[in-house]
Amino acid sequence: MRVVILGAGISGHTAALLLRRKLSKKHEVIVVSPNSLWNWIPSNIWVGVGNMKPADVTFDLPSVYKRARIEFHQAKAIEIYPEGLGDAAHPYVLVESTKESDRGQKTEIKYDYLINATGPRLNFGATPGLGPDGFTHSVCTVDHAYSTALELDKLIEEMKTGQKKTLVVGTGHGLCTCEGAAFEYIFNLEFELRQKGVRDNARLVFLTNEAELGDFGVGGLQLKSGGFVTPSKVFAESLFVEREVNWITGAHVHKIEKNRLEYETLDGERDTLDFDFAMLLPPFTGVPLKAFNKIGEDISNQLFNASGFMKVDADYTVKTYEQWAPEDWPKTYQTAYKNIFAIGIAFAPPHQISKPRKSKNGTMIAPAPPRTGMPSAIMGRIVANSIADMINGVSENPTHAASMTEIGAACVASAGANAIVGGAVSMTMYPIVPDFKTYPNVGRSLVHTTGEIGTAGHWIKKLLHYAFIYKAKALPFWWIIPE
Amino acid sequence: MSVTEAKSYPAPRPSKLTLFMRSFLPWQFVRFLVINLRMTVMIKKSHGRNIGPETPDNR
Ligand SMILES: Cc1cc2nc3c(=O)[nH]c(=O)nc-3n(C[C@H](O)[C@H](O)[C@H](O)COP(=O)(O)OP(=O)(O)OC[C@H]3O[C@@H](n4cnc5c(N)ncnc54)[C@H](O)[C@@H]3O)c2cc1C
Repeated sequence: MRVVILGAGISGHTAALLLRRKLSKKHEVIVVSPNSLWNWIPSNIWVGVGNMKPADVTFDLPSVYKRARIEFHQAKAIEIYPEGLGDAAHPYVLVESTKESDRGQKTEIKYDYLINATGPRLNFGATPGLGPDGFTHSVCTVDHAYSTALELDKLIEEMKTGQKKTLVVGTGHGLCTCEGAAFEYIFNLEFELRQKGVRDNARLVFLTNEAELGDFGVGGLQLKSGGFVTPSKVFAESLFVEREVNWITGAHVHKIEKNRLEYETLDGERDTLDFDFAMLLPPFTGVPLKAFNKIGEDISNQLFNASGFMKVDADYTVKTYEQWAPEDWPKTYQTAYKNIFAIGIAFAPPHQISKPRKSKNGTMIAPAPPRTGMPSAIMGRIVANSIADMINGVSENPTHAASMTEIGAACVASAGANAIVGGAVSMTMYPIVPDFKTYPNVGRSLVHTTGEIGTAGHWIKKLLHYAFIYKAKALPFWWIIPE
Repeated sequence: MSVTEAKSYPAPRPSKLTLFMRSFLPWQFVRFLVINLRMTVMIKKSHGRNIGPETPDNR
């Protein structure tokens, strides 16, 4: 049997390594991914403030796969044929090489099982002027993060001569996700500016689509602290005030020009903000993949939702916020085709987690649900387990489940990279998608949903950086390190 | 809504003791152990479940 995995990010790489470990040598594991470098994306934040170099957060993927006996194609998948094409039907995926030597060459790769782990397409085009080709910076890829750091260096030099600058960090569209990454970036930025002695010359503004600080796209958290159950909004606002970071919440950015952006907030007001430096995240869509049936008809809308994410075993019925239920969320990540699965950011969530809102003018300002590293890797693990069982004849159906309403997440948001005076916010939340039936009023376990700030958080973040890169390199006993 | 100015916003501010403890290394070492423990519990609770072969739940 042959398992083909599209994407070598956190979820796909986890699935590939585990499948290779679980399946005997007569079965093939093939990975298709356009980049030959593996990137530990969470540490791009540190590259983006000049604290780490690209080489610290990446490594050469083909050599790891060679050692692990996984076949690697440096290519991007463009079309899926789940029923094959014509009479001699065997499912296959059409891929296009991204390798220098044969760039653009197309190959058909047959599969028995397919995992779509292609992550997000960074949709900078959603807001005019957004992104490295426009007027703002990004830390979503290591190359983006590195050029952001170079620009930041120049700005810091100017600030050293006494010039005052406005730096904006946040989300570049009302439908963005990953607000946690923007949160980390602004506090790392604030910390670095202090370390470099130019903090007094910087005005920092956090611009976010979250209706309130501390929402993180998961509707915020309720935390037990000092005899109270307190919303994460209070803790987040406290940190912003302490570090003198100003903010704009519930914002959708309409357009960006050189040094100026135009935005609208939930109350319907439109305003502009002048800036000297901006790091704004783009909204995500699925990567452009098409699907065809055996007579060549386009069946993409059966496999993917309107944003290009792959539909799995979720309940996609359109419902109001009040009707949302934990059961809506997928468990096994199997699609309508029994041998195709979608994991990580590539699967289509049934709806947001945070309450979606519209501005008074009808503009949607609704954080998309985050699918962070830990759940993405867990999905990789359970789908690898299910496929291994299906191949080994244990069952015809997936044997493992991990709904985001049943799993939690541990998140460490860096707020300054220094082992003595740095710090991070260490959070755990359980479950990721609130369950108000099991946990009335708060939606999550008050025992397992926690958060605190301190230097210890930085140590953990650094430890995770080394541990996950070690694991991803499949070095001895890598499987002992949990997802 | 225009920019909320942090300087004048009435959020709870950490006391001097809280700030000190956040980077007081012996205390942070204790917190390091506690946070690791919490995260280990979270990992244990979150590894998905084996739904076994052929249950009605597994499709
Ligand atoms: C700046 C930043 C900081 C973050 N920090 C944290 C953090 O601290 N903690 C945390 O838990 N999460 C964090 N995240 C989120 C985390 O990175 C994602 O949750 C995680 O990477 C999702 O994994 P994935 O496998 O779905 O996608 P990815 O890791 O993005 O992997 C997708 C893979 O698919 C490949 N691909 C793309 N198109 C194709 C194609 N057509 N064919 C084949 N392959 C393709 C890509 O090259 C890539 O290898 C952060 C994200 C960002 C952007």
